[in-house]
Amino acid sequence: MLEVRGLRASYGETPVLEGIDLSVGDGEFVAVIGPNGHGKTTLLRTLSGLLEPTTGEISFDGERIDGLRPDLISMRGLVHIPQGDLPFGDMTVEENLLLGAFPADAWRKRSERLERVFTLFPVLAERRTQRARTLSGGERRMLALGRGLMRDARMLMIDEPSLGLAPVLVNEVYGHIETIVASGVTLLLVEENFSHVQAFDAHVLLLESGRIVRQGSVAELLADEIVMATYLGT
Amino acid sequence: MASFLQAIVSGLVTGSIYALMTVGMTLIYGTLRTLNMAHGSMVMVGGYVSWMLFDSLGWGPLAGLVAASLVAFLFGILIQQVAVRPLIGKLGVDFEMTAFISTFAVTIVLSNLALRIYGARNKAVPPVIHGRLHLIEGVSVSWHSLVMAGVAVTMLLALGAFLSKTRYGLGITAVAQQLDAARLMGIPDQRVYNLTMGVSSALAAIAGVLLASVFFVSPNAGDLPLLKALIVAIFGGLGSIRGTILSAYIIGLLEALISTYFGVRWSLPLLFVVIMVVMLIRPTGLLGKPEEARL
Repeated sequence: MLEVRGLRASYGETPVLEGIDLSVGDGEFVAVIGPNGHGKTTLLRTLSGLLEPTTGEISFDGERIDGLRPDLISMRGLVHIPQGDLPFGDMTVEENLLLGAFPADAWRKRSERLERVFTLFPVLAERRTQRARTLSGGERRMLALGRGLMRDARMLMIDEPSLGLAPVLVNEVYGHIETIVASGVTLLLVEENFSHVQAFDAHVLLLESGRIVRQGSVAELLADEIVMATYLGT
Repeated sequence: MASFLQAIVSGLVTGSIYALMTVGMTLIYGTLRTLNMAHGSMVMVGGYVSWMLFDSLGWGPLAGLVAASLVAFLFGILIQQVAVRPLIGKLGVDFEMTAFISTFAVTIVLSNLALRIYGARNKAVPPVIHGRLHLIEGVSVSWHSLVMAGVAVTMLLALGAFLSKTRYGLGITAVAQQLDAARLMGIPDQRVYNLTMGVSSALAAIAGVLLASVFFVSPNAGDLPLLKALIVAIFGGLGSIRGTILSAYIIGLLEALISTYFGVRWSLPLLFVVIMVVMLIRPTGLLGKPEEARL
């Protein structure tokens, strides 16, 4: 579904991605693991069009999307749930969610989508008239996930869903991600901590200094002592 | 007592028209983060459209409202494409300052075009309705003023409903508050900027049509509205719609009260003193928020 070949990207003069190849098949769960500051967020920002790649190809559903505007990429069903949630702070929870259904076809079905998100995240239903900036960190994360689920996502990209949350909330968020995975959505997830994705049947890529240095199934990586010692500190 | 009530009535009318004149400027500051110095010109454009309809077809200002808002909507998009868009995202360019200057250039061009086309002579447009409504002994208001206030309040309510209920209205607020997230939601930012400039310009033109019957239409009919809109917008807190409306009514009422009790010549000096004192205490304006939060 998503094919990336030789992707390079930089911020000004500083190269961040130095040739990334990856592919995500229909219904597959791919996790990109790596230390902070090595290009995980940049990878997702480049895929969703917020950052233009310097070279390389990105195809989605067999069509090139590199260089397209982010709103056009998003309209194709490649939905990026960004790091730090980026809520519309002075808008209500409900308005935030409605904006997740901005594409015209999703907008027509917005009330039923809203109900679905409220069933998935009851806390958002309780907070629906509250301004997004008044939410707690965990609630904001639910809002970001919910906003991404308001439309027909062909593929979700989630950036560090555990970032800045207390362990109990991390478990709750990953509980929701399990539900999302179980529903058959194609998922590309970025995470610093390998242990969060251990329980999933995922294909894992290790990203370091802007390159994929290792990849395999969760089981393969767990069995690889060098990987465990070098990259994951266990 | 009657003079006090009379001042309140005029203040409310003036406040409504100030709010209508300024709210577009606030909307543009909220989304694009720059002051649109061509905003006053849209007041002038509205006035000329209304005058042309009257002069050539004999149509009154109500027809002018519709025509002027359409014409100004297109002008807004044109200004966005010509004077603002080329500056967005340019490396090494201070967008806020350069767009401020380029839109001011648009004002100069439009004033001079108007001078060339229509000449320097003032054009008069009749009011929507003649006559005055006598409220109580010694307190009255012209029917035209009531229409002005009514149209202004209706447009503000319509704007509020548009921003909070419709897909593109919510899109405008989303772009103002979190551009990256808005783009990730699939909101086309350039189209939203066009829409914002179009709507804002149309609102200013509606104010221009209403004011054309009170003052005259001339090539620099937009200068004073621009100045007033800047004062109202900054006093209310740049980028805050509620702040703008509050500030418009406060300034309208203050002007009317000062003119009643101290004479018209004190109205601007005293107004500036009050505004300066408030700004010293609240540098972000009445309801302005520092940096990130807008609209």
